[in-house]
Amino acid sequence: MTGGDGVTGASGGDVRTLRAYVRSRTRTPASLMDRYVSVFCLLMLIAVAGRPVSGVLASLAVPGEPARMGAGVALLALALAGFLAAARGAGPVLLPGADASWLLLSPLNRRHVLARSARLLLGVAAVAGLLLGIGLLAVLGAPDQLVWRVLGALVVGVAAAVGGMALAVLGQASESWRVWLTGGMALLLALAVVAVTGQLRAVLAVAASAPLPTLTAAVSGAAVLSGLLVRQAWATLDRIPTRTLVTSSTRAGHVASAAMSLDPGALTWIAEDNHWRARKLASRRWPSLPAPLSLPAPFALAWQDWRRLARRRGRLAAVAGSAALPAVLAQAGGPPVVLGLAVLGGALAVASLGTSGARRDADNPALARLIGVGRRQALAARAALPALLAGTWAAVALAGLTLVSGVGAGAGVGVWANGAPIDLMVSGGAAWWWFGPLAAPALAAGALRMARRPPVDHSMPVIDTPGGAVPTGPLFWAATGPDLALLGCLPTAAALASQPTALAPFLVAQAVLSVLVLLGFLMRAE
Amino acid sequence: MYDSIIGVSALTVELGGNPVLRDLSLSVAPGEIVAVVGPNGSGKSTLLRCLAGLQPVTAGEVRVFGRAPADDAAFWGRVALLGDEPAWYPGLTAREHLELMGAVHTRARMTVDAALELFALEERADAPPLNLSTGQRQRLSLAATLLRPSTLLLLDEPERGLDKGFRAELADLLTEYADEGGTVVMATHDQGLAAIGRQIAPSGVTA
Repeated sequence: MTGGDGVTGASGGDVRTLRAYVRSRTRTPASLMDRYVSVFCLLMLIAVAGRPVSGVLASLAVPGEPARMGAGVALLALALAGFLAAARGAGPVLLPGADASWLLLSPLNRRHVLARSARLLLGVAAVAGLLLGIGLLAVLGAPDQLVWRVLGALVVGVAAAVGGMALAVLGQASESWRVWLTGGMALLLALAVVAVTGQLRAVLAVAASAPLPTLTAAVSGAAVLSGLLVRQAWATLDRIPTRTLVTSSTRAGHVASAAMSLDPGALTWIAEDNHWRARKLASRRWPSLPAPLSLPAPFALAWQDWRRLARRRGRLAAVAGSAALPAVLAQAGGPPVVLGLAVLGGALAVASLGTSGARRDADNPALARLIGVGRRQALAARAALPALLAGTWAAVALAGLTLVSGVGAGAGVGVWANGAPIDLMVSGGAAWWWFGPLAAPALAAGALRMARRPPVDHSMPVIDTPGGAVPTGPLFWAATGPDLALLGCLPTAAALASQPTALAPFLVAQAVLSVLVLLGFLMRAE
Repeated sequence: MYDSIIGVSALTVELGGNPVLRDLSLSVAPGEIVAVVGPNGSGKSTLLRCLAGLQPVTAGEVRVFGRAPADDAAFWGRVALLGDEPAWYPGLTAREHLELMGAVHTRARMTVDAALELFALEERADAPPLNLSTGQRQRLSLAATLLRPSTLLLLDEPERGLDKGFRAELADLLTEYADEGGTVVMATHDQGLAAIGRQIAPSGVTA
């Protein structure tokens, strides 16, 4: 490695010297004032956040609610599985594009090159673990010895997240460890299913009130296991194949640039394209009607989304499984507003899975021009799939909520908020699921609006607030789509929030508003 | 009705204050092949975008089929534009993109199988377009463009990424298209392709 200005001596694997050189060329050295401001901000953060955090922890000094424990543990298991899936999807060890191009393919010590990335992963996992620990404490409660139980929950949370991250790093280095990681994630999903069915209630009750020596032993075991995994991951760091690192680093480069320009839409295209690049497909005939009939052109065009979704069976299965989440959230004690948001937000997210064609044409209309179908007709045909997805998902989610609520009313195992049972949806009974299909057109309109929104407009004004500067461009971008869905689902939202005894007026209002919103959206489409 | 498919008079286009096209006039008759030639930056692609109605003009008039080009379904039903590589639909193979084109345009110019054979894509028919080479993706774009029925073809450097042999085949395909009554306007750097039609330079001077 040559380059003058003190870099010549870096060829002996001195990554630190090299990074210092790069830093000296790209960044002004931190002054004393910079350091003072950093320390001051940190102290201010501790001073501001310390009191609320200690308040939250103190409020957890109560015995856990047995009826909520199963659902709570299920949510935590799902969260950890999601964290591991995200880590595996990202790499997790990756480098900035420049490092991947210049440092990775050099004689520098590989472990030293990757050390910074590894430390960052450790930090991310530790923060995720702390959140997991707080969640665990909220679920299990702390009947006595608050400090030790808080410490125990935090250590278990951090050990789980850090150990999981280490497993993901090991999985990047070898196929056998990848199998272990997949097995771990499958185990977490199985745990979630078992927990939500209430099978673990006795075990959880024992865990929640475990005496201190047992708690210490369990926590120590988790910490030791996590430490062993981290040590193994550190030792394996220099054995991660270059090919894997370059691939994930290039992907991260895309992601970073997309995040820098605040165009999150680009992130999903990267994931989508990577998915199909790695697949072997078999062509199938396009559907047609018996002669002399022919499939109308807009529907022939819209079929692309149906075919794409049919080829993502894993995603469909995950979507089907996620319909149970609002019910699990209800079991864990989620308030009605949160449940309503989960149902409508989830349905909108599911609807957006069926709008890739509209998104593609909005991003780049070249193929749409070649196809030559009118935009309005194309959009109308493309609304069918997101409407079906959103309607079905919301109907199942609401049916699940009704079921949980009914069980809760009868057997005392149901929806709780602030320690009191809520007879959510018992009033409307089985009619609640009707909101799903009736809200579907509005949700489809919202999803299509979301698919067609332009990139974030950074020229929009930045509003100065006491809490800091708020850029309105990303806000408007994020609100485009959900705004229309919320408008079109107001009767459902109102019903979920107020839980009326008579659902019929809300259902009729939802049906009318939903159709009006979709028609209005199609009429205004350019 | 109209005598010429395309009528351009006194067209001037400025981009960022720089004149890209100045006082250009052009008339293209039905069934004609016009090759727009010239060095990089001479305004070939800009002229094509004007003909497609995608580039606002600074002065002058552009008429396609007797009226100003409009970015709507009626216009694109008669005009097939191939510029930069299109963004392919996710989850579809190369063949399925052609199937889609055939399903939308019921009176396709050729079958999907014939298009795959003609554009030498049979062996890669099941691949997602992203997994094709640059030249194969260009052939797929051309296959989709020529499979669908149209009256006017606007091609921006159709030779991009194609090997020499296939460029000659493309010249034959475009001649065949014109013989069927179609009109072709293409910007090109390929001498062989340019030779099959009337050559013009965007400066307005016949080359």
